[in-house]
Amino acid sequence: MELKLDTPWQRALDQIKTWARVNSPWAIHYNSGSCNGCDIEILATLTPRYDLERFGVKLQGSPRHADVLICTGPVTLQSRDRLVRIYQQMPEPKFVVAVGSCGISGGAFQGCYNIVGSIGEVIPVDAYVPGCPPRPEAIIHGVVALLQSLQKKPAPAAVPEEK
Amino acid sequence: MNNITLPPLIALLLFPGGLFLLSFSLFFEWADRKLVARFQNRLGPRWFQPLADVVKLLAKEEIVPDGVHKGLFLVLPIIALAAALTAALYVPMLGFSPAFSFQGDLIVTLYLLSVMTLCLGLAGANTADRFSLIGATRTLTQLFSYEAPFLLALLGPAIVVGSWSIAEINTLASDSLWFILSQPIGFLVALVGLMGKLELPPFDAPEAETEIVAGALTEYSGRGFALFRLGKDVELVIGLTLVAAFYLGGIINPLDFLWKVAVLLLVTAGLQSLFARLRIDQTVGLWWRVGALLALLQLLAIVVGRYLNPLLFGR
Repeated sequence: MELKLDTPWQRALDQIKTWARVNSPWAIHYNSGSCNGCDIEILATLTPRYDLERFGVKLQGSPRHADVLICTGPVTLQSRDRLVRIYQQMPEPKFVVAVGSCGISGGAFQGCYNIVGSIGEVIPVDAYVPGCPPRPEAIIHGVVALLQSLQKKPAPAAVPEEK
Repeated sequence: MNNITLPPLIALLLFPGGLFLLSFSLFFEWADRKLVARFQNRLGPRWFQPLADVVKLLAKEEIVPDGVHKGLFLVLPIIALAAALTAALYVPMLGFSPAFSFQGDLIVTLYLLSVMTLCLGLAGANTADRFSLIGATRTLTQLFSYEAPFLLALLGPAIVVGSWSIAEINTLASDSLWFILSQPIGFLVALVGLMGKLELPPFDAPEAETEIVAGALTEYSGRGFALFRLGKDVELVIGLTLVAAFYLGGIINPLDFLWKVAVLLLVTAGLQSLFARLRIDQTVGLWWRVGALLALLQLLAIVVGRYLNPLLFGR
């Protein structure tokens, strides 16, 4: 899409950008129809016991300030439009982490009359964290895995990553 | 006790303004966040955290939402940061004498510091978003509540010294008894007023994320948000320097500066983690019922003292 110049200056600049992105992922948390189990685990992850600020993670109120959308639960018919809207409101580059079994496949709610499906069917997801609900350590591991994948690719495209 | 002066070009680009101030303000943000984290029994951010935040925000996409005045939207963060950086030229940063100094620069500095808040209010009112609008209203309401007591509190030392120049007050404050001892109320009002100015935790109703998302800056992403954040950090450094120069016996050399400002930062970080957020009406009530009254009492005491002193001691 954008012009890629492979000059040393450009490469150094890209490295600085990637370094900054990896070290300061600001998160926003959205529940697209989960049973609240995963949300409580996410809140536990943000408490002083796990202290995500040491990795630079900050919970932001506004999607305009966030880099990582941490999303839980299957997508209900009601929340699909809101989820897409929040995703579109986030500035590039943006990443999505789906937390919990329901976000991966619909989980216990699969096949319900009011369910669109998994999060990956609505917006592109970069990392999945399985579990019902996943432990805070697992959520931290998911975010760290996402950040490590950024370091390998200089300009990550927002495509769904299997596994 | 003379402070060292600097050539103008270095003053603008390197030393009190420009590069030094930006890196120093990032360091201060880190120190503030780390202290608050330690008070909350956390490890806290790493030392380069504010730098990474700013670089990341600068490299992000900047969205200009529908329904805003585009020019105003783009230019407000620049004005805010520029005003904060300009204010640094009049304060004795790191113990060197201010780059520019004239009678009345105290008032100019205070108004330059307020430009930042006005820009925040305008930025919020400019967007069509309801959270920004509420945030802007709260920002401006808070401006009207803390500004008068803060000004009155800084007026105390100025009246005692008999000068409106920050450099002169700084020099004379280092020669006499520390003003924190002779005017304790003024010191308290000035320090808490500074926290109100910077929208630090007990007074962060304008950006209360549990109620109004992110306040006036809800619609800002990328560059604009980075510049506003930087401006706020610069204001933290300048505000602490001003209070240290006025109330903690002036700033004579870099070492003097560092320990006095560090003590002030420790106190503000402690207050931030001690108190829960005040509602906006509680903030206004606190400032006008308590803050302004205390500052006026302090001022009255100074004026009466200045009148009585020659009568009692025949000086």
